Amino acid sequence: MLSQKAWSPYLAGVVIGLLQIPAFLIVETALGASSSYVTVGAWLTAWLDPSILDIKYASAHVAATAKNWWQVALVGGVAIGAFVSMKLSGAKRAARSPVWSRTLGSAAPTKRYVVAFFGGFIMLFGARIADGCTSGHGLSGMAQLSVGSTVAVAAMFAGGIATAMLALRRI
Amino acid sequence: MSVLSAILVGIAMGIVFGFALEKSRVFEPGMIVGQMQMKNFIMLKVFLTAVATGAVVLAALNGFGMVKLAPKAALYSADIVGGLILGAGITLAGACPGTTLAQIGAGYRDALFTLIGGLAGAVAFSYAQPTLSKTFLAQGGGKIIFSDLIGVPYWMAALALAAVLVVVLAALEAWRPWRAELGSDVDGDLPATGTPNVAARPQPAE
Repeated sequence: MLSQKAWSPYLAGVVIGLLQIPAFLIVETALGASSSYVTVGAWLTAWLDPSILDIKYASAHVAATAKNWWQVALVGGVAIGAFVSMKLSGAKRAARSPVWSRTLGSAAPTKRYVVAFFGGFIMLFGARIADGCTSGHGLSGMAQLSVGSTVAVAAMFAGGIATAMLALRRI
Repeated sequence: MSVLSAILVGIAMGIVFGFALEKSRVFEPGMIVGQMQMKNFIMLKVFLTAVATGAVVLAALNGFGMVKLAPKAALYSADIVGGLILGAGITLAGACPGTTLAQIGAGYRDALFTLIGGLAGAVAFSYAQPTLSKTFLAQGGGKIIFSDLIGVPYWMAALALAAVLVVVLAALEAWRPWRAELGSDVDGDLPATGTPNVAARPQPAE
């Protein structure tokens, strides 16, 4: 089973949902991902500009607390887990997904890299405005029946669908 | 708990998370962009299944008094504005903040640019946060959850949500079987024309 290229989305979804058990019981927090970008980004920036830590928001995320660095470890572990899974199944990926040359109307790597950087930038800027991403608001917020998280998830899909229809060519 | 043990727990949980993201193929740009173009529904299937499972788990843990819930405060303007921008970013990145790392692990090179862009976006927000916190984006209510609004215990409403999601997922699967949405290289890259033809494509093992 570990060497299969694809699992049922329902099996994978159950596995992801079950991760809330150690998150709540051991770390006393909910699954999330986007805060870790502030932790790592502000920590790196502090080497060049120590004054970023005068901003309470940045210093609170960099502080050596269990929750801050648990989430950094979590997303690091995601890369390891995906790498191991890919190695076991042999589902090796090319440098870029084949869908990009069609959606962007160009196979030029540079164009894709610029779009990826810009996409990543607004993805995290938006996630920090909303105080959560697909994990924190989506997986965890909706499971906790949070009204604000449900609004945020609806906005994510609205923004994502509008952008896909307006800015990208059909897959 | 100590920071070191939190990191060890985080790595272990992350490996399981990354494994599930890779096996479900939901980390593929083809799946994420395909979902946003309403062409492929594997992302919604994984997402709603994880929400339903989380709801059942938390209904039990909270119902038996083992954990406290930790919902985020409802800041409606920020949720809407931030959510729209985040959604646009997800489409252009072909990833969300968590799956970006799964893409890197699986070997997509453009995901490194997504990661660096994401770190830059998080740093830019940190610099802007003291100013933004004085605007309409910081206004909102408290930690409001639906079960309080309708006046039932959390566990009851969470189990009801899970039951509704199971029905939605069963309907979704009947309409769009997941195997037909994988694509021949399990990356969500489906033939451009016509409806997905299940029989014409190699099948992954169950």
